[in-house]
Amino acid sequence: MTRASQLTGSSTYFEDFQVGQRVRHPRSATLGEVEGAMLAKLVMNTAQAHWNEHFLKGSPLGSGRVVFGLITASVTIGLTSEDTAENALAELGLDNLRFRAPVHHGDSITAYSEVVSTEPAERDDAGIVTFHHWGVNQDQVVVFEGDRSIMVKRRSHWAGR
Amino acid sequence: MSNFDPNDFVAITRGHLYEDFEVGQQFDHHWGRTLSAGDNSLFSTATCHWSPMYLNVAYAQTHGHPDLVINPLLVLCTVVGLSVEDLSEAGGPFLGLDRCRFHRPVYPGDTLSARSVVVAKRESNSRPGMGTVTWHTEGRNQRDEVVVDCQRTNLVAMRTRTR
Repeated sequence: MTRASQLTGSSTYFEDFQVGQRVRHPRSATLGEVEGAMLAKLVMNTAQAHWNEHFLKGSPLGSGRVVFGLITASVTIGLTSEDTAENALAELGLDNLRFRAPVHHGDSITAYSEVVSTEPAERDDAGIVTFHHWGVNQDQVVVFEGDRSIMVKRRSHWAGR
Repeated sequence: MSNFDPNDFVAITRGHLYEDFEVGQQFDHHWGRTLSAGDNSLFSTATCHWSPMYLNVAYAQTHGHPDLVINPLLVLCTVVGLSVEDLSEAGGPFLGLDRCRFHRPVYPGDTLSARSVVVAKRESNSRPGMGTVTWHTEGRNQRDEVVVDCQRTNLVAMRTRTR
């Protein structure tokens, strides 16, 4: 059987994260019918501003469908995932999530991350990394930011397994 | 059959406004939601979160899980989604989310339910006719174990726009 370590990258173990590292992730994503309206409905979000094109007409939030903030956050985190959590054992938590500006269907999100802290975990084969993430639209406006902590495998214990 | 005139019909409304919330008030939210592997695949792929822990059963089992792990962000989005009608549908924009903890994994077939307590409310100085309300929301599985909890804050419209 394929070893687990062959399925994920070798540069995202706990030892690879240094406080202060700042990266822009390589791919951006456009939020449209699937990411906006479909996922809002999938997760039972009944607020029609997310899936009724005509509801917000003339509103200060802007016309058209506005993307559920936690979907913007989820796409931002998803765009970071290969570089942050490919060798994670678990997502631990989120904090200080702020939705700075509305996101509409057709907007494209680029993700940026900074390593805020690295610390030992209760188990000795992993460590805890906390990131600050930013989601930025095609006009360079920060639409989302927040902190995220994950438990990441240590290379010393997991490389080659 | 009479002619159709939309003015003949009573509009059904949903949700709550600023005055409806009292600190300490609890809401047991509607519906619940069983999360399937399909929900997880759609969510994880649509959010560019192609982690084998969520999309490769053998990989997840190698790490001690009985099945795929449901993407924790799907768990959070669903628990908050279930709370929307009671808390924020009528109110206004989502401002922030704090102190979210993922307490234990969720697997395909698990059923989530959501409940919330009003933590704080205050009138907005900068936005007349609006206030901010903060709720503590938690999601539980079918064994009544907490899988996620968080605090959410929204801008909420007032029923009486006196200022």
